[in-house]
Amino acid sequence: MSRRFAAPLTAVDTVDIADAPAGARVEAVKRIAGEDPYLVGHYPDFTIYPGVFTLESVHQAIRHWATERHGPGAVAELAAITSISFAAPLLPGDTLRIGCDLTERDDTPATVRAKVRCHRGDGALSARMTLELRIDRRDGDGHA
Amino acid sequence: MVTLEHADIRRILPHRHPVLLVDRVLDLEPGVRIVATKTVTGSEPCYAGLDEHLPASAYAYPASLLVESFGQTGAVLWLYSAATAGERSEGTLIFGSAREVTITGSAYPGDVLRHTVEIDQLIGDNAFMRGETWVGDRRIATLGSVLAVVREGLAAGTGS
Repeated sequence: MSRRFAAPLTAVDTVDIADAPAGARVEAVKRIAGEDPYLVGHYPDFTIYPGVFTLESVHQAIRHWATERHGPGAVAELAAITSISFAAPLLPGDTLRIGCDLTERDDTPATVRAKVRCHRGDGALSARMTLELRIDRRDGDGHA
Repeated sequence: MVTLEHADIRRILPHRHPVLLVDRVLDLEPGVRIVATKTVTGSEPCYAGLDEHLPASAYAYPASLLVESFGQTGAVLWLYSAATAGERSEGTLIFGSAREVTITGSAYPGDVLRHTVEIDQLIGDNAFMRGETWVGDRRIATLGSVLAVVREGLAAGTGS
């Protein structure tokens, strides 16, 4: 498969987007696979989905929202991690479920705030984070 | 002044290719501060499978890997300092939490990330660190507080 931005792996399998009063609700699922890129080295004798890959999963889910909301030329760049914390680990065979509430502001350049809670397939809280992303619209030059 | 080459870093960090994201330590003061580099190249797996004819901005080094590289730099400082002090920690090294991280720029293939990390506080198996990431004279990230944790029991029976 090909992608339109540099990324360590395809970090979401499915993304569902619904409108919400202040912005949008984004839900995404990623099944953790030991064969995914980079995981062979993290760690050689015990595979664990790196915390930053959960961040990557959330970022990719929000990229999907940005292109749906603003068109294929829109790019969601991570501007700030206000806070992020990790609880239950994700191991091969686990499922990561992301629930993300996006709040849009009309600033220029547009920024969105994301409040995110991530759960493992067994219901355990695996991570929560509050992020800010900058939406760049590159209409015209972003099309492959 | 302590400097470390890649062979030394492999002895300190458990991470391996392609997710060992510290190349060289330019300066390390045990228990206090570290300056380390990671060179971004176009042959890394994160650049595999990109569409053709994308704008230059599509080649920005992923923020997730930038944060990982910073965290690993902090881990080198922490683990080297512990070893120097004669302490030994067993368990799996994980990213615990972070606050007040701002990303103000990007790195591209050919750039050298230069992380400066300071230890704020060590409490048992927890290390609180903060610092900055630079590309040349451009600061591209400020990390207000990053917590690394050594957690026992995760890798029971694997000898990790």
